[in-house]
Amino acid sequence: MRRRGAPARPGGSAPYWFLAPVFLFTGAFLVLPLGFSVWLAFTRWNPLSEPRWVGTRQFEFLLTRDDAFWGTLGNTFVFAGALVVIGVPLALGLAFVFSRARGKAAWRAIYYLPQITSFVAIAYIWQFVLDDRYGLANRLLGLAGLRGFDWLSDPTMAMVSIVLVMVWYDVGRNMVVFSAAIEGVPKDLYEAAELDGAGAWLQFSRITVPIIRPAVVFVTVTSFIGGMGFFALILAMTKGGPRGATEVTALYLYEMAFQDLRMGRASAGALILFAIIAVLTVLQFRLLRERRG
Amino acid sequence: MRRPILAALLATAPAGAFAQGGPLTLAMHYNQEQAAPLLACLDIYEDETGQAAEYRQISYGDYLQTVLTGRIGGTQPDIYHLYSIWGAQMAENGVLAEPPEEVADFVRETYGETAEAATIDGTLYGVPTEVSVYMLVSNMALLREAGYDSPPATWEELREVADAITTRNDQGRIETAGFAFADSAAGSVHPFYALLASRGGEVYSDGFSEANLDSPEAAAAVRDMAGLVEDGITDKSVDGFDFPAGGIGMIVMANWMKSSIQEGLGSLDDVAVTPIPAGEGWRTLSYAFFMGVDSQSERQDDAWALVRWLNSDASADESGVSCMGRVLSGIGALTANASDNAAMGEADAFTQPFLDALAEGRATGQPNVMQAAEIEGMMAEAIDTVLAGDAEAEAALEDLDGRVEDILFEFY
Repeated sequence: MRRRGAPARPGGSAPYWFLAPVFLFTGAFLVLPLGFSVWLAFTRWNPLSEPRWVGTRQFEFLLTRDDAFWGTLGNTFVFAGALVVIGVPLALGLAFVFSRARGKAAWRAIYYLPQITSFVAIAYIWQFVLDDRYGLANRLLGLAGLRGFDWLSDPTMAMVSIVLVMVWYDVGRNMVVFSAAIEGVPKDLYEAAELDGAGAWLQFSRITVPIIRPAVVFVTVTSFIGGMGFFALILAMTKGGPRGATEVTALYLYEMAFQDLRMGRASAGALILFAIIAVLTVLQFRLLRERRG
Repeated sequence: MRRPILAALLATAPAGAFAQGGPLTLAMHYNQEQAAPLLACLDIYEDETGQAAEYRQISYGDYLQTVLTGRIGGTQPDIYHLYSIWGAQMAENGVLAEPPEEVADFVRETYGETAEAATIDGTLYGVPTEVSVYMLVSNMALLREAGYDSPPATWEELREVADAITTRNDQGRIETAGFAFADSAAGSVHPFYALLASRGGEVYSDGFSEANLDSPEAAAAVRDMAGLVEDGITDKSVDGFDFPAGGIGMIVMANWMKSSIQEGLGSLDDVAVTPIPAGEGWRTLSYAFFMGVDSQSERQDDAWALVRWLNSDASADESGVSCMGRVLSGIGALTANASDNAAMGEADAFTQPFLDALAEGRATGQPNVMQAAEIEGMMAEAIDTVLAGDAEAEAALEDLDGRVEDILFEFY
């Protein structure tokens, strides 16, 4: 039935039928919940009653009256920033070292192991290690005649502990991404550099890093986004304590929604967090691309 | 004894109501082992009435979220077992059904003041079950080792005794703590309630229109608690839940810790339960769980009949204790059911002081205020801030008072 002279439409409507499951899945599990969440942000709703429209009041409360919300945003930036600043270089360094090591597959597998372990199990294990009174870390420091640290009961040290555990957890995943990128760097470049007398550091900084920059951008951005929205390990390890020191925004909103039953306010907070992450992600992409240019 | 009452109960149910539809569902936080007597009772109930009932275990920490999610999805249980402070929100939003008059009369006649735990804004919503009361629990072996033969009766004495018990290891960390707060929101808030009540203070004004957290009594109570940290008797690295391990001299704790203390220390012979150390006028905190029925349940009458049967003589065995009484007794919990307490007779030395506190009217019920869990979370953080020395009691409580009143303003 095609009009004579009209360009052929390969497959007709077939592609759309093939894509239909994806559209359905996206609609049911992304668009609808997201739309519902946006609508909820303008309501007051606990799951026991009907939502009541309150306009922008939830946003006003969070931004102008809720000091705790701002405090959690600060904690979130510290957590996500530390993940990027400590975690990304560490993963990159390990990937580079293991790319030249014997048994590199085994090393990569060992560092990847935390990724296939439950967060709850990880949290319990680290709680045992970091317990102020009975923990392995302080017992070992005690053998050296040191008092040790209040790993989980001091506000600053609790954040340090959470970041260190998260870096430990995440470094394997990022290292695998970097390793794959490093394996793609032509070997003859390293051979030529060696002939010119370049050492390992020069090869790393002048050959490896520039060539794998897309992977660095990817890992940096995904680590930052992940860190901004992450809370499972924190919930299991410190529950946001002590005294809110590790209460990140995602955890604060989770508690607001499911413990305090303030679904509307939590949705508004989630939208604010989403906007912040979106803006910072765009900035990161631009900054890292400009550097590449 | 049981069958005539059962027959009377059956007569109050609508004709033909029983055996309609599927089994009733009863959601509680007790695990299968703890609920074993209850499961046996449900089988008996089915044999006698033809009405089946299913037990659904939901962990305490997830209880409210689980039943709320279930309600959105239309899979809510017919019968709830609720911590009293959840009741206000559930009643406000019409989740709970009011009991029939005969059940309400049964509660008022059988549970005395504890009926208040299931009462919100003057309306009764269920049958009280597990009751918890806070008292001073002392490891007498540690007290004697420190040179004291009896637990302290005042807070000053407690500081003195606890100081004598406390030891530190080579790293300067507390090894044996004279006193400890439990590592949970309730761990500091519930002792605070007890100390505040002992000083004659109240957390809220009548009708919950205002908070009284900026009162001198509240500040004095928090200063009492913070004094223990200042003295080096305890700190936040010491968890009161470790009391059964034997390294803590004293805790202000509820009776439900009995079985774990017994298990940890081997016996309760060297454990003393005494009044809150606040002098002659001491008072304490109590809270309760209660069984209520969902307002959307299509078989509310059947559900109430089962609730009453489980808590009344109708389900009593040869000892004369009701089914719920046997469940609570099995886990070392208290009941305010007068009939069960009479049938159980004299309690052991650990439990009797808790019962005495209830009988003497020393226990103030935990307030059934809206957003109670959220408010108590704020209270815990404010108290912890003072305990850590990051703020003065007056300043922290004044800030807390303002934030709590913001919440009260939303609802009252």
